[in-house]
Amino acid sequence: MPKLVLALIAAVLAPAAAGAELPVFDAHVHYSHDAWETVPPKDAVALMRKAGLKRALVSSSNDQGTQMLYEAAPDLVVPELRPYRTRGDIATWVRDEAIVGYLEERLRRYRFVAIGEFHLFGADADLPVPRRMVALAREYGLMLHAHSDADAVERLFAQWPQARILWAHAGFERPERVREMLRKHQNLWADLAFRTDHAAGGKVVPEWRAAFLEFPDRFMVGTDTYVPERWHYLPEHARWSREWLADLPREVAERIAWRNGEAVIGGAFDRQRSPQGGAGG
Amino acid sequence: MRSGAFARAGAPLLAAAMLAFAPPAGATGLTGPEVRRVLQHGPWPQPVLRDPSNRASGQPDAIALGRRLFFDRRLALDGALSCAACHVPGRAFTDGRARARGRALLDRNTPSVLNVGLARWFGWDGAADSLWLQSVKPIVHPLELAADAAHVARLIRADPALACRYERAFGAARLAGADAEALLVDAGKALAAFLETLVTGRTPFDEFRDALARGDAAAAAAYPAAARRGLALFVGRGNCSFCHFGPAFTNGEFADVGVPYFVAPGRVDPGRHGGIRQLLADPRNLLGPYSDDASGAAASRTRHVALEHRNFGEFKVPGLREVARTAPYMHDGRLATLRDVVRHYSELDEDRLHADGERILRPLRLTPQESEDLVAFLESLSARAPARVIPPAGAPDECTTAEAAR
Repeated sequence: MPKLVLALIAAVLAPAAAGAELPVFDAHVHYSHDAWETVPPKDAVALMRKAGLKRALVSSSNDQGTQMLYEAAPDLVVPELRPYRTRGDIATWVRDEAIVGYLEERLRRYRFVAIGEFHLFGADADLPVPRRMVALAREYGLMLHAHSDADAVERLFAQWPQARILWAHAGFERPERVREMLRKHQNLWADLAFRTDHAAGGKVVPEWRAAFLEFPDRFMVGTDTYVPERWHYLPEHARWSREWLADLPREVAERIAWRNGEAVIGGAFDRQRSPQGGAGG
Repeated sequence: MRSGAFARAGAPLLAAAMLAFAPPAGATGLTGPEVRRVLQHGPWPQPVLRDPSNRASGQPDAIALGRRLFFDRRLALDGALSCAACHVPGRAFTDGRARARGRALLDRNTPSVLNVGLARWFGWDGAADSLWLQSVKPIVHPLELAADAAHVARLIRADPALACRYERAFGAARLAGADAEALLVDAGKALAAFLETLVTGRTPFDEFRDALARGDAAAAAAYPAAARRGLALFVGRGNCSFCHFGPAFTNGEFADVGVPYFVAPGRVDPGRHGGIRQLLADPRNLLGPYSDDASGAAASRTRHVALEHRNFGEFKVPGLREVARTAPYMHDGRLATLRDVVRHYSELDEDRLHADGERILRPLRLTPQESEDLVAFLESLSARAPARVIPPAGAPDECTTAEAAR
């Protein structure tokens, strides 16, 4: 085998730790009303930079937080729109007709790459308000970021077979189930936010390793800053992520750490921002 | 030596047998499942098992040494503070402050050390996996006693009463020849041996629970109606006993109950997450050379503890015995009274809880009467008279006088 080919194989299989500190695309950040009161935008941006984030998918309840943060750091923030005016809407939004008007108004005014993260389970996905939300995502060419069980994900795809869905926390499903879903749906990506079952002590669990190696281009990491204090966890989460990613081949680690986020989310938003791109606004 | 093996194995059988004689549920206002949960909160007192990682555990001389050290301000580098300065015996071994004050204002509330011998993790963040490690920490913490191993070793060697007790507990050769770090750890072990003896007394709740267990309706009727209604909420709709479980009213683990954990603007208390990281980096943990447990079994929990994202902002589930005497509440003492605590759970801010899996915590939405009932129940977890621990106050030690008489 030629030496060059061997060298390339070695580079691909080398542990991620061999390189410099991995950038991280954080696919699960919230900046809700209580957060912007206690962690002002400049502090939030400083924490993102301290964590070594390349970019982050940011949403908030209400959307004002996302817009404030985007204005403070457009190079870091990729905005997505939650169907929540306060975090209290989590439990009620699926039956709240006023949410549709809220989404329409924000979509008219601002650019987003996705609608989410929303909480949607089972047959609730077929209620009128979620259906209208999916229709808006289709109209504006946006991803869906779903904190859902597999049933709801199936229902979203049934409504819109071309949907691109980021499956938050990969539904807290077992790795085997996540793999089944990824095999079945080409347009499904998985965020690993708030999960620790895939790695312990810097080592990747075998069942998850198999998933990462089968679908290196479909996983992303995320912190989930669901309370303001968790903004201070961003650097620790990035450190922890780099630790277990170092146990994977470098190419795979880089994809999960940031390349997938950049390609699927960051790239889509950049196209929206460009003068020629995007359906919305 | 105290053996808890029988008590552990026999407790479920005993509870089942007691239940067979329990009064009909309707007579107490409790349902059958509620009665079963009530019985799990006893009997009391529970035997405190000897700590296999601490060879001084249960030893009278070590207990006496620990008692002296607990009240001895010379343990602090500048002689200004003792353990008892914050763990005040007359205040149920707390200090009544929201956040403890050592050499400066600390980040957390002073937890009571009553019943601490029943715990498996220590401190609000569980940064100690043994009571002796937890006892060493404030001695060397720069904002608490601010001492070091050399200072503690000098103190023990120079003071006849301390030296005498130390010799009896740990051996004369060790007193003469061991390095300062070993003496510091031994001081922690003696303190732990003393703290293990601090067990709360029986309470009105215990009388009710035992009456229930033996089917004594007349004795059960002596328990105030408000406390009984509060108890029904505690084990029933409130589901408080899910975490405040068992005879000590704690599962011994950690939880995020929606309490903010900013210490100051721009600074957070990482809680259990920081505690696990500290513990695993601590050379005095149970995996290290200072544990006396040759079997290694005591270290099992430390070996298997895993860092999880949810640990960030989790704090220890406190036991509730004597809770009416340990105000203020929560890890940073932000809630002044038991009524405030009940209000916290009644109006729980669900926005602060992660929407992951089964929701254990939900706002209880209590009526004013239900809130008062729950407070009445919590107040029934205090003994009628608090346990008294009298400081040695520099009195001659029997050990010293006996040695002198030889």
